[in-house]
Amino acid sequence: MTETDGRTLAPWRGALRVVGAPIDRIDGPAKVSGRARYTTHVTPPGLLHAAVARSKVAAGTVRALDLSGAERLPGVRAVLAVAVPGQKIRFAGQDLAAVAATTPEIARAAVARIEVVVEPTPHVVTLDGAMADGAPRVHEDPVQARRTEGDDPTEVRGGGRVTGNVRPLPAFEHGDPDRAFARAAHVHEAVYETPVVLHSALEPHALTVAWDGDDAMTVWASTQSIFSVRDEMASIFGLSPERVTVICEHMGGGFGAKFGASAPGSRMGFIAGTLARKAGAPVRLALDRRAEQEVTGNRPSSRQRVRVAADGRGRVVALEVVSHGTAGVGTGAGVGRNAAHLYEKIPHRRVRAHDVFTHAGPGTAMRAPGHPQGAFALELALDELAAKIGADPLDLRIAHDRHPVRRREYELGRARFRWDDRRARARAARAAGARVRTGAGVAASIWGDFGRAKAARVTVAIERDGSVHVRNGVQDIGGGIATVLAAVVAEVLGRPVERVHVRYGASTLGRSVGSGGSQTTSSVAPAARVAAERARRALLEAVAEATGTPPGAVTLEAGGTVRVGPRRLSFEDACRLLDDDGIEAVGQRGPTRSDAPYPFPGGGRPQIGGVQFAAVEVDTWTGEVRCTHLTAVHDCGRVMNAKAAESQVAGGIMMGLGFALSEQRQVDPVHGRVLNADLERYKLPGFGELPEIDVHFVPVETDANETGSLGIGEPATIPTAAAVACAVFDALGVPVRTLPITPDRVLAALRDGRAEAAP
Amino acid sequence: MNPFRLVRPRSLADAHAVLGADPRGTTIRAGGVDLMDRWKEGIDRPATVLDLRTAAAAEDARALASLSATATSLAVGALVTLDALAETPLPAAFAAVRAAAGQAANPAIRRQATAGGNLLQRPRCWYFRHPDLACLKKGGSRCLAAEGNNRYNAVLGGGPSYIVHPSSLATALVAFDGHAVVQASPGRPKEIPLGEFFVGPTERLDAETVLRPGEILLGVRVSAPAGARSAYDAVRERRLYDWPLVEAAVRLRVEAATLRDVRVVLGQVAPIPWRAREAEAVLEGRRPTPERLAEAARAAFEGARPLSDNHGKIAVGRGLVRRLLHQVTGVPLPA
Repeated sequence: MTETDGRTLAPWRGALRVVGAPIDRIDGPAKVSGRARYTTHVTPPGLLHAAVARSKVAAGTVRALDLSGAERLPGVRAVLAVAVPGQKIRFAGQDLAAVAATTPEIARAAVARIEVVVEPTPHVVTLDGAMADGAPRVHEDPVQARRTEGDDPTEVRGGGRVTGNVRPLPAFEHGDPDRAFARAAHVHEAVYETPVVLHSALEPHALTVAWDGDDAMTVWASTQSIFSVRDEMASIFGLSPERVTVICEHMGGGFGAKFGASAPGSRMGFIAGTLARKAGAPVRLALDRRAEQEVTGNRPSSRQRVRVAADGRGRVVALEVVSHGTAGVGTGAGVGRNAAHLYEKIPHRRVRAHDVFTHAGPGTAMRAPGHPQGAFALELALDELAAKIGADPLDLRIAHDRHPVRRREYELGRARFRWDDRRARARAARAAGARVRTGAGVAASIWGDFGRAKAARVTVAIERDGSVHVRNGVQDIGGGIATVLAAVVAEVLGRPVERVHVRYGASTLGRSVGSGGSQTTSSVAPAARVAAERARRALLEAVAEATGTPPGAVTLEAGGTVRVGPRRLSFEDACRLLDDDGIEAVGQRGPTRSDAPYPFPGGGRPQIGGVQFAAVEVDTWTGEVRCTHLTAVHDCGRVMNAKAAESQVAGGIMMGLGFALSEQRQVDPVHGRVLNADLERYKLPGFGELPEIDVHFVPVETDANETGSLGIGEPATIPTAAAVACAVFDALGVPVRTLPITPDRVLAALRDGRAEAAP
Repeated sequence: MNPFRLVRPRSLADAHAVLGADPRGTTIRAGGVDLMDRWKEGIDRPATVLDLRTAAAAEDARALASLSATATSLAVGALVTLDALAETPLPAAFAAVRAAAGQAANPAIRRQATAGGNLLQRPRCWYFRHPDLACLKKGGSRCLAAEGNNRYNAVLGGGPSYIVHPSSLATALVAFDGHAVVQASPGRPKEIPLGEFFVGPTERLDAETVLRPGEILLGVRVSAPAGARSAYDAVRERRLYDWPLVEAAVRLRVEAATLRDVRVVLGQVAPIPWRAREAEAVLEGRRPTPERLAEAARAAFEGARPLSDNHGKIAVGRGLVRRLLHQVTGVPLPA
């Protein structure tokens, strides 16, 4: 436990045998064959099914609840009032009551018999409405911001005093923007808008609770954070966390909405646990798609007034973003780090964001909270300024960015994407007034390494039969952490990946992190390496002792052969020398040791970059936009699994294309209901949207942790919509400043552009 | 979903016997695609479900599952799947029908969904489909789209309800002369001209066709003048598996360099497949110059009355019709 301690273990240098290669995911066969068990596949004996009565009005006061109709229905085993008379209703879909019954059908029928009298009060669901004088107040009392492991942990907390429905978020200011704007040669100012979008994980929120006596329970949950489910359930029911076992073997997506025992807008853990206790039987609460889209969180909207100014020599001198957005009844409608910190060579910068409360389901972290919205407005505004001053958008970005890796990424992308050719072709088609235009745009990502010390305890065991086992309670939300653990341990022990058995997805397997903030790999993989190094050392010591060899004379060679003085033993033969207990070693990650190659704002941790180049084709008659090509140049320290990392970036791009082109929550202004709480009119991107995707990683050697791995989940989606919007601007010569960029908006922008150009 | 009785008739006569016993309480199931959606949302609560597919093998039901065509005629049985319609080579005159069937939904749905079910599907308006909202077509007092969020609703022919007809196949078929073949009881079916088959909310709120409870749609027969050509296309917010924002079908023939028998039909813009007669008039008997085609595209939306959120459909639709006219007339599209 000395030289292999996480504090002093030297980071990997140079090429490795397993880590970084394209590795098939170890859970792949189970998933494609249908063997993988997701939360709702788990059916403990006697399982009951829960359903929740939800508010049909957006605002009001609960006056009475009558549960008797549900209680009388045969097959109903427990009924629970979640709301109480006098309670305020602040959004449609809010929990009112719940039942557990022998079948899902009976549970739903029982819910329909619950009578809840809600006295409606005026509601407001639009940004304009909520900001108007005399608008109904959504919250009468001070609001506590809800934060999860999905949020940037370094973000300044708190907020200003609420006025009406508007709550200022902590402001950022650098330099003297007012003075700079007053003196600038060129100023561009415009308003940019992004809609509320929905996480839309294919697997809706689901939770099954089975009590084991009065003081223990097992919970199967579709979650991004097994331990936050455990701790929250323990807290709700007054149990010791040790007595709560949480299991998530496989999960079908979270994107920020699945932290803790409750969904952001529904007390799922409380409901399932209470019903299970009342009924004396396990209870499963799985949301249907409508509830999933209405109450389990969303990416807040934004309306951003952006001002950006240049001096007479083409240098950008000032930037200001004033944003208002709605997270419904929740908080967190910020615009991320982009405007504040991406272009640090802009000397004067100001960002002021505000939450605007509306009577709608709460927002929550969604893959890079604030960043895709912020990137869209910032990058498109920058391109509009570039057009005014005759600058090339790519040159302008490089000129104002201090991050050495991102600057390199821009240059690599320029060549891979053939930026200059594509821009020239767009210019020619624009000048000719072509019907079908093409365009090219570029945008960047800023994210931090939020990997945490001692947050994960990974166990590596070597058995006498030569088998190698890794255990940790981490959930694999799709990023492929289980495969990374196998690869890291295989690397250290000289074993093939398929000979390393990984157990994960249960709180009994050792403390671990939540999968938010792109921190899973950089928190858990280093702990696995530390544990594996300890196991390796213990194995060699045991072989030395068993063979009477001086410890220094036993070494592990590539391929797992153990060299004992002049003799060579296969790994299996060496393991036979172990005693019955085999070897078990536990490892934890040390603290972040370096912020090289370039610090995240605030210092102490590396900043992750990444740039994306989008090419689009636009039909100027119909307004149809297609992204034809996307070049993504990213960095995430040392890549652990080339295949999974590429896949992660491709997934982020597809998610960004939905934000750019088709996704928006639609709410009825009169009834306050989500109208497209489905996957039909809520338009996730599909294969028709899939562009040619070219993913390239810039390897970065960082000493931040024992594996040199950094996150990639969130950086992968931050710049996509921005790059697409910039490309559309390049194609048309006029900007579309509202997402999603739908055909009607393209034609409206062209019409407005013509009107502006006319004398 | 409510408990129900499933009946699997062995012939059309069987089916009529069941239907006749309880016409209002019996719902016909073909592919079941839209029916399942409505049923799950509680919009339909059928007491009896009559699975038409089990009757298809019977002698008296031969028309139901058959697809046949000559150069100038096309007969589509109600049980023919969209996939069969899209994948079966048809004469050039009916290219619009193939394209409309082939662009609908996704491959899995097209293999399940039938032509009859597609023509009879209920509106996709999100107010109509919402389980907690009572719109005009579900017995409510007013059209919630008119005062609400109407991005996808009608810009032509709306009122008092502003739904749009959901069937892309209907849009294509109305570009031809033809009939819906309907049978009310065993015996000779009646033929209803397609132009009369689809009806808007001023005539009916409980359905979008003249079909009455107890009647079975056996299929559709359409014809085209010799030498006719047709085309269909749509603009979607998502390229595949999406309801069109606007769609259009055009049928015409070119005789001595002039356009004849021109028909232009717009879809997803009105409560019925919408004949754009103003556009047809611009083109009929004229030479297809680029200017003429552009003028026709503008005329197609003459008289459009957009609601608060759907004015964008007009410009998109004009662009679509203009592009489609170039494609079907062979006038080269500008780059």
